[in-house]
Amino acid sequence: MRKLNIFRAGKLTVAVTALLALAGGFVGVSAAAASQSAAHPVSAVSGETFVIGTDTTFAPFEYRKDGELTGIDMDLIREIAANQGFTVEIKSLGFDAALQALQSNQVDGVIAGMSITDERKLVFDFSDPYFDSGVQMAVAESNTAITGYADLAGETVVAKRGSEGETFAKSIADEYDFTVKSLADSATMYDDVKAGNSVAVFDDYPVLAYGINQNNGLKSVTEKEQGSSYGFAVNKGQNPELLAAFNAGLADLKSSGDYQSILDKYLEQPAPAAASGFFGLLTDSLPALMKGLGLTLLATGLSILIALVLGVLFGFFKVSESRLLRGLASIYVSIFRGTPLLVQAFFFYFGLPQLTGQSIDVLTAGVLTLSLNAGAYMTEIVRGGIQSVDPGQTEAGRSLGLSYVTTMRRVVLPQAVKIMTPSFINQFVMTLKDTSLLAVIGFAELTYQGQQIYASNFRTGETLLIVAALYFIVINLLTMLSNKLDKRFNK
Amino acid sequence: MSTSAITNTSASSKISVRGLRKSFGSNEVLKGLDVEISEGEVVCVIGPSGSGKSTFLRCLNKLDQHSAGTVIIDGFDLGDKTVDLNEVRQHIGMVFQHFNLFPHMTVLQNIMLAPVELKKESKADARATAVKLLDRVGLADKADARPAQLSGGQKQRVAIARSLAVNPDIMLFDEATSALDPEMVGEVLQVIRDLAAEGMTMVVVTHEMGFAREVADRVIFMADGVIVEEGTPAELFGNPQQERTQDFLSKVL
Ligand SMILES: Nc1ncnc2c1ncn2[C@@H]1O[C@H](COP(=O)(O)OP(=O)(O)O)[C@@H](O)[C@H]1O
Ligand SMILES: [Mg+2]
Repeated sequence: MRKLNIFRAGKLTVAVTALLALAGGFVGVSAAAASQSAAHPVSAVSGETFVIGTDTTFAPFEYRKDGELTGIDMDLIREIAANQGFTVEIKSLGFDAALQALQSNQVDGVIAGMSITDERKLVFDFSDPYFDSGVQMAVAESNTAITGYADLAGETVVAKRGSEGETFAKSIADEYDFTVKSLADSATMYDDVKAGNSVAVFDDYPVLAYGINQNNGLKSVTEKEQGSSYGFAVNKGQNPELLAAFNAGLADLKSSGDYQSILDKYLEQPAPAAASGFFGLLTDSLPALMKGLGLTLLATGLSILIALVLGVLFGFFKVSESRLLRGLASIYVSIFRGTPLLVQAFFFYFGLPQLTGQSIDVLTAGVLTLSLNAGAYMTEIVRGGIQSVDPGQTEAGRSLGLSYVTTMRRVVLPQAVKIMTPSFINQFVMTLKDTSLLAVIGFAELTYQGQQIYASNFRTGETLLIVAALYFIVINLLTMLSNKLDKRFNK
Repeated sequence: MSTSAITNTSASSKISVRGLRKSFGSNEVLKGLDVEISEGEVVCVIGPSGSGKSTFLRCLNKLDQHSAGTVIIDGFDLGDKTVDLNEVRQHIGMVFQHFNLFPHMTVLQNIMLAPVELKKESKADARATAVKLLDRVGLADKADARPAQLSGGQKQRVAIARSLAVNPDIMLFDEATSALDPEMVGEVLQVIRDLAAEGMTMVVVTHEMGFAREVADRVIFMADGVIVEEGTPAELFGNPQQERTQDFLSKVL
């Protein structure tokens, strides 16, 4: 019943959202305004719900603990929401993605440990600063050679793309003669340093301090640089009431002391947690990973079904007599085979809403990307299958007086399907693996869940092993099942 | 023009071909053929490979569309777009060099497909007809076999039975025995011989000169897309008039 609803025109988004809610693994976390009855003046945004974008991996400002989004930013936005009587739905998208989502009005605001800069002020409106940051440099624990910027000559350092750390590192790169490599998130940067690919990382000091205290294998070697301040942002000219409410709430929390207790909770040196064994990690991470796997399979299943329809349609176009239809199919195939899947995903999630003004949820965007992409490959599989059937078969059918359609249906297709089945199975596996690319637009599938886990526990290798093992098991089980069905029906 | 073509056709003419030309791109393969074939006549077409024999046959049921001229089958003008081609094709069966049996169906299903899909017969009737036809080509015991389990000669006999299932009054054979091992040629020729004896109108492209001499009412010799010479088997084989005919026959006889 539920499955049927998905295909009802115009209901895709609704059905998909419902499914997501059922799957329970969606990135959005709602924080209800619990203390609305408190004696605060009713603000202009009271009772409203705002979608807030944030980073995935910027501990201690935002990260996941036991599957829940937590951190300074999260506590702050939730307490301000409660204080001002509005509701927030948080979307954990990644830093770059959150900013793009804000520009395309996919989200109403962004809180992501974001420095207030003049450049950003051109496109966003910022709240009062809520945190004073600064850049610090850290190296691998075992590294005794590098104790200051002067030791960096000829070396490579990493910084987070678009961050203050990157700006600072680049500003002194010439002076100290080192190269700056930009990466997308903190966990990747720390791994890069530990693996020796780069010698040092420039990151915001609270982030570094938190990671070091989580035994991430680094140590800080410089004092924190005078840095800029973090602010909450809305799109230029949009949501002024939300911005005002944030400022009012922040002022309230500061005067009540709640603000300081939030900072202390994350920035006081916590006792290093004893690392649990591999099986501890496995049992801790499995619930979140299973949710991710569920979404991976959901996206794969929906995409493959749609791709099959597209593939059959355009595949027939490709073998048709009409030059128009053949041309159409060729254009479709060359567009989707001729551009990277990642670019397609970004386009559908960020680009399309900017062009149409119609926002699109992440599963719809993901399924759209994967099905159109897989559909192009399916088209070629269907074309190849039909064309690999001996033309003598069609001639025999037609010479008996059978119509083109009947000949296709009874003579050509049964043989073509048999030829196509192994390629279909192959495409199915490819699409399943391609779902992992949707992590970049914040789709909470298996790879994304894995990234979330090692972003907060820094056990990258072990976590990725578990993730890979899950893919391996599922893909091989599905392949075995498909081959069995193939043997059974395509004798 | 086409009206006069039809009126000039004798009443018993099953196939009337006038000025038939066929080009593939710039390559003209048939360069103006005129052929009249009357009811019950057996015409054998011989000629060197590449001379256009297959293309000629394929123009008779519009597997290839002629570029110029007229082709009239049982009174249907194949150049007329309003003619129901699928209907015409049920009048004119075709047997291919490589059998073209449907490999995913049993022998019986191969034969029943067209009558059932064309709603000519109920499934039960089609089955009865198919069994009869199989019996006629001597393969009653192979009804449930798959094509892959048959020898070449058996495959070709099934293909003939399949063509006959839609009850055509004309049969086209395109080198029906060329892909067969020598010991199987005889069994297929026998089936064609029987059809001739029953009065079926047939156009038979063949390399079997002995068979042509025995069965044909008329033999056509084609070369380079034209009919070089035609006549009774006695005339054509016994006393060929054209040098090219003599040349060809001296090589194959
Ligand atoms: N579908 C086609 N496309 C292009 N050329 C063709 C096609 N079919 C046949 N021909 C050409 O037409 C000529 C005659 O072929 P065909 O009728 O098969 O001769 P035959 O049956 O006498 O050996 C050959 O030169 C062949 O290459
Ligand atoms: Mg030929």
